[in-house]
Amino acid sequence: MTSSPSETTTHPLQEYADLVAETVGGEATVAFDAIKVVVPLDRWVDVHVTARDRLGLVFFSWLSAIDWANEVAVGDPPGETVEERFELLTSLGDVTEGRRVTFSATVDKTSPVVPTLVEVYAGANWHEREAHEMFGIVFEGHPNLTHLYLPESFIGNPLRKSFPLLSREVKPWPGTVDVEGMPGIADDEPTTENPEA
Amino acid sequence: MTIDADTIRHLSEVSVSVELQTEDMTLNIGPQHPSTHGVLRLVARVDGERCHDVQPVIGYMHRGYEKLSEVRTYPQITTIVNRIDWVAGYANEVPFIVAAEKLMGVEAPERAQYIRLILTEMARMASHLVFMASYPLELGAATPLFFALRERERVLDLLEGVTGGRFHPNFNRIGGVKPAYGAGSSTRKMIQDLPAGFLKDTRDAMGRVLGVCDELEDLVAGNEIILARTKGVGILPPEVAVSYGVSGPNLRASGVSFDLRRAESYLPYESFDFDVITGENGDCWDRWWVRLQEIREAARIIVQAVDGIPAGPLQAKVPKIIKVPKGETYVRAENPKGEMGYYLVSDGGTGPYRLKIRSASFSNISVLPYLLEGILVPDIIATMGSLDFVLGDVDR
Repeated sequence: MTSSPSETTTHPLQEYADLVAETVGGEATVAFDAIKVVVPLDRWVDVHVTARDRLGLVFFSWLSAIDWANEVAVGDPPGETVEERFELLTSLGDVTEGRRVTFSATVDKTSPVVPTLVEVYAGANWHEREAHEMFGIVFEGHPNLTHLYLPESFIGNPLRKSFPLLSREVKPWPGTVDVEGMPGIADDEPTTENPEA
Repeated sequence: MTIDADTIRHLSEVSVSVELQTEDMTLNIGPQHPSTHGVLRLVARVDGERCHDVQPVIGYMHRGYEKLSEVRTYPQITTIVNRIDWVAGYANEVPFIVAAEKLMGVEAPERAQYIRLILTEMARMASHLVFMASYPLELGAATPLFFALRERERVLDLLEGVTGGRFHPNFNRIGGVKPAYGAGSSTRKMIQDLPAGFLKDTRDAMGRVLGVCDELEDLVAGNEIILARTKGVGILPPEVAVSYGVSGPNLRASGVSFDLRRAESYLPYESFDFDVITGENGDCWDRWWVRLQEIREAARIIVQAVDGIPAGPLQAKVPKIIKVPKGETYVRAENPKGEMGYYLVSDGGTGPYRLKIRSASFSNISVLPYLLEGILVPDIIATMGSLDFVLGDVDR
């Protein structure tokens, strides 16, 4: 059902992933039935024009980012040390074969400025506004880079890992208690999930 | 200065043209408006009955589920995602659970997958029946509402019978479906299966739903006012639709034959016989018609699934404390409103490191400024309603 790049057998998607990587100029990995192509940020717009015009990836699914950070204000920090950066992601697809590819680029945290994709995919408009308010990434050339969900007076970028979740600061979420094992059953014993509390 | 007849004629012409140069009025629609299915605000610049520019203002329902997911455990997140598109709450759970299962290398048993498929199609039916009820109502026809909601209640009864919830079933578990109480050391483990008589009741209900589809077709398709208000209104060309990421019935109404039930393998749809319905013109009428046909196709799928449901276990073996191994994946599903997907990033903990929620209505209504450009004010409601969005699905 699943496969990872470490497996020796070739994943059925690998051939297409290599084709995409070669056409746009990036590095492809296939993991868990998903293709991810890492591309350099300075060719971000070119890559999407190529993907749309030469690979037929005309369907703009979404754009978002991941904040890779070692210090987090809320939630669990990553298990091992990571490179401090934003990872910018877009997901594109076609509407014939059912192909889908995630494009990824690294954005510097100190100056998170990237060119806009609005001219390539009209749907990028709202997604970039969301990424702008949630992560503080600036999309150069965007026609209307204002807040989408949050009021204009809102300060901070909520999806950054350094942004505290206030209710969690005040009181730890009691839900963490729920995943403790039932009395009389060892935690590593294979079973179904907890019964309803 | 003498004024001769020619000058007077000239002056009067000037004054007439000045009168025609009317000022634009800014018209606020919402945030509280019955046709907006929640709290959506439209800022429209109108010149008389003609609309120049419409900007949707969203965010009134923003609940920050992506941030919230980072501090919840995997089993807790199904309760959150239920509330994204609350008209089809069940359908939101499946792609999230499948994404977590993919990273864990767990696969739900076949019977559990069939149950997921039946309930997903029921959620589709319930969602489309709400559209069948509300859309004619927005155009001034109240009667279809009673027909559609009556049969929707039958479908929700079935959903409730299995899951215990009409709107927020919270029925999926990683590796299968919900276990009933009884996993203690002294109690026998009880797994909740389908309630007695469910398969027969479902067949009966599907017959009734197909019946109401015929009634709705008579009521709405035979109504000249509705035809006049929807045919040729709000045309969405396919190339614009894909560029905005419009998906689901809205995309298929524009003539694009694309259905994730065929393209992806999150549920065993490949063993079912159903048609992917497409429209021709991409107008409001086609969007209504495609959804009506999709109810019929959903009934077809459910009847096949009920006839062919295999016996067997409902839960795969999973650890008591769910920890998802490091990795990232994207799983998308054909929800009633369109492509619903989760980009799940795990760093090996009990909760996601990042969960990007791709909801269908968000992209579907981002096309509104394009669709409403130059349209008449009454057509705003006809066009907006035909996109069938839910604000919980827009704002997440």
